[in-house]
Amino acid sequence: MLVAVVGLTVTASVSFAGAKAGVVKVAIMTDCKGAFSFGYDYDSGGAQAAFAQYAHGKVKNKNKPSAGMTGITAGGKQIKIVGYGCGNDTVPLAVTETKRLMEKLNADVMVGPLSGDEAVYVANYAKAHPNKTFIIGTAGSQDPTLQIAPKNVFRYHGDGAMWNAGAGEIAYKKLKWRKAAIIMDDYSFGWTSAAGFIADFCAIGGEITKRVFPPLNTTDYAPFVRQLPPPNQVDGYFWVVGGSGTAPSLKAFEQAYGKLDPKKLYGNLFFAFLGADKVVAPKVAGAYVGGFGTAPGLKTKAANAYRAIMKKYYPKLPPDDGFVYNYYNAAWALVQALNKDGGAIGSKLQAAMPRSIKPAFQVSNGGVLHLDSNRQGIQDQYPLQLVKGANGAVAANVVGFVPDVDQSFHGLFKRSSPPPGRTQPKCVKAKLPWQGKIKVVKNGVITKQTIK
Amino acid sequence: MNPLRWAPKQRLERCIALGALVLVAVWPALGLNAYWSHQIFLQTFLFGIAAASLIFLSAYGGMVSLAQTALFGIAGVIIGNLATKGGAGGTSKGLHLGWDPTVAVVVAVVMTTAIGLIFGLVAARSAGIYFLMITLTFSVIATYTLGQVTKISGFSGIGGISSYTPGWLGDVLAHPDRLYYLALGVAVAVYVLIRYIVRTPFGLSLQGVRDEPVRMSSLGYNVALHRTLAFGFAAFVASLGGILYVWWSGQIAPGNVDLPGTINLLVMAVIGGLVRIEGAWLGAFVFIVIQNYVRDFAVPGLSFGGTLFGGSFNTIVGIIFLVIVLASPAGLMGAWDRAVAELSRRRGPPRTADEPAPGPGS
Repeated sequence: MLVAVVGLTVTASVSFAGAKAGVVKVAIMTDCKGAFSFGYDYDSGGAQAAFAQYAHGKVKNKNKPSAGMTGITAGGKQIKIVGYGCGNDTVPLAVTETKRLMEKLNADVMVGPLSGDEAVYVANYAKAHPNKTFIIGTAGSQDPTLQIAPKNVFRYHGDGAMWNAGAGEIAYKKLKWRKAAIIMDDYSFGWTSAAGFIADFCAIGGEITKRVFPPLNTTDYAPFVRQLPPPNQVDGYFWVVGGSGTAPSLKAFEQAYGKLDPKKLYGNLFFAFLGADKVVAPKVAGAYVGGFGTAPGLKTKAANAYRAIMKKYYPKLPPDDGFVYNYYNAAWALVQALNKDGGAIGSKLQAAMPRSIKPAFQVSNGGVLHLDSNRQGIQDQYPLQLVKGANGAVAANVVGFVPDVDQSFHGLFKRSSPPPGRTQPKCVKAKLPWQGKIKVVKNGVITKQTIK
Repeated sequence: MNPLRWAPKQRLERCIALGALVLVAVWPALGLNAYWSHQIFLQTFLFGIAAASLIFLSAYGGMVSLAQTALFGIAGVIIGNLATKGGAGGTSKGLHLGWDPTVAVVVAVVMTTAIGLIFGLVAARSAGIYFLMITLTFSVIATYTLGQVTKISGFSGIGGISSYTPGWLGDVLAHPDRLYYLALGVAVAVYVLIRYIVRTPFGLSLQGVRDEPVRMSSLGYNVALHRTLAFGFAAFVASLGGILYVWWSGQIAPGNVDLPGTINLLVMAVIGGLVRIEGAWLGAFVFIVIQNYVRDFAVPGLSFGGTLFGGSFNTIVGIIFLVIVLASPAGLMGAWDRAVAELSRRRGPPRTADEPAPGPGS
């Protein structure tokens, strides 16, 4: 044992000593197992496309982003991707992977993680490691930049609640809902995602009559669907059951109450992304869907330029998917900071991290996304609708443009207020900044007309 | 305790153990690789403690329990609920009652031990595969309870626990060596305590219950009570590991006590060997080294994405586990015992210091 310890330690020490001075070590934390295992290539591809475009990175394999990248430089320093975190959407593995990337592989910067619970752990970890910098990949929990909010954590995309901004108003105005019920996965992302709809729907005058919470990984959704009020007692249902649960939960509803009516169902991103476009979307064609901070089908110069970049480096990745887009912006922000501070890391890098960037799908403020005082992006959001195309395939199209959505929902969510949960937020009428200002998007073009 | 009276094998083992202990004790002081001290060794200590509770039940009680990971996690969840605080900057999950962490530690140990006694009471009258299944049920109950009772945990679990350590321990985030030495001290204390317990009348009768439960019962020993108390003691030991774990990782979630977590602890114990307490830390050490280093092991020309095995490290752990179990069903400690026995057989009968050296011409 002693020999093994000493041997491995010497090996490890040699590998650290062998690291070139002046190299900025970056870790890409994502999932390679569990419901989001596809994120391994989506996320690394998004981040590496930005390195390729803005930091001279050379793609090793266009069809397999996790094959890695060489030759990345920014601010006069070499950027080395020292490792890819392999999470599974649970905290225990996030613990070991984060420690492996940041302490064993000695990364200076983490781009990631992918999921909400992982990001809560990473934010707590960041508090104890102020010299390391963390740029959240595409995690949707609120805590990392509101309740925890360490100074070395940055997020250039919205959280799960922000992604559903505008959904309540569309349900109220377009679908004429007044009373709605919600079925939500019983964990932080499910609660946060539902919180966005609740805040938006109640703000305009809607009422939530029932909240139902199936545990994650439920296989039989019938008991939970039966807890929902029947269709004649509510105007519709907001559906926040994700991953492998979306299709069986809808099936259970169909068996209980008959054919699915798209006008009575409003999904969160799980209706349109994460492979749902093939399984779930065809069953509920016509239904409205919450967003993911991206704008599938939006025709702007910046959006088209971004799609061309993605096609150039990783042609098989879907550029309009948040898993790709959010990691792309995170890596791009890092390159900007390194260029600005001459490749310095630690507190200098954190000071240099851009407080505003120009992401492809941001339209407000001349296309500039600003960070708030907690280093959380204030981002345009895009409600979607599942539409059957000419080829018969059902896909998500942008139907609305919600400008400048902030994480607090204009003060509803505060650092001191309870985070989204089974009973939070309460259903209260309020005046949200974007209320009445949601623009109609037709054929990928933002019109001057507001949603009525 | 006269070293001169020790058999050669004992002498060799104790020299190795002392050497290892000195090495890990001076490691942080010498400023050696911090990743090894704060990750590899620290995890070895705390998971070794949990694995020791499993090996104690197996080696001295004849009970292979799958509930030890659950008890380990229950102690962590109790600490998470009692010690953390809510509000601005606090944790957002669990009850966050904000108790004094020292009081929380005592309550967590007492409650976990009590839960262990209840588990033991239920399982004590079964044996073999039925005992295994009942303890697996405890593990599943713990996982689902934590996952579905969102007031105390929920799927997301409780985070930020490292910030709520007792005053006598101080800030383990800023001073991780403190937790390192605490975990080392607790691991040594647990080892000594188990060695002591198994030599007491209770420990000896427990071994009698393990070997001949019917005979022990006919002699007037309460077999079920012995098993229940052993289970309670093992829960006490597991709770110490659980508390150290939440201070180290800062979080506790159902994922810590689910089936893979349960199997991981069993794998550590089996790699080390279910027959000797020392195997707990040896198995934990091997498992954690594999887990940490196989991931990044790169072979030029074969590696992809910086790693050879990518996300398949569980497969590698499984293959290594299979090889160890097939080569030595009693784990690495069993392999060591066999190797020493074989060596002694080849060299002739063992000789103690009391025996006169063979004289000339003998």
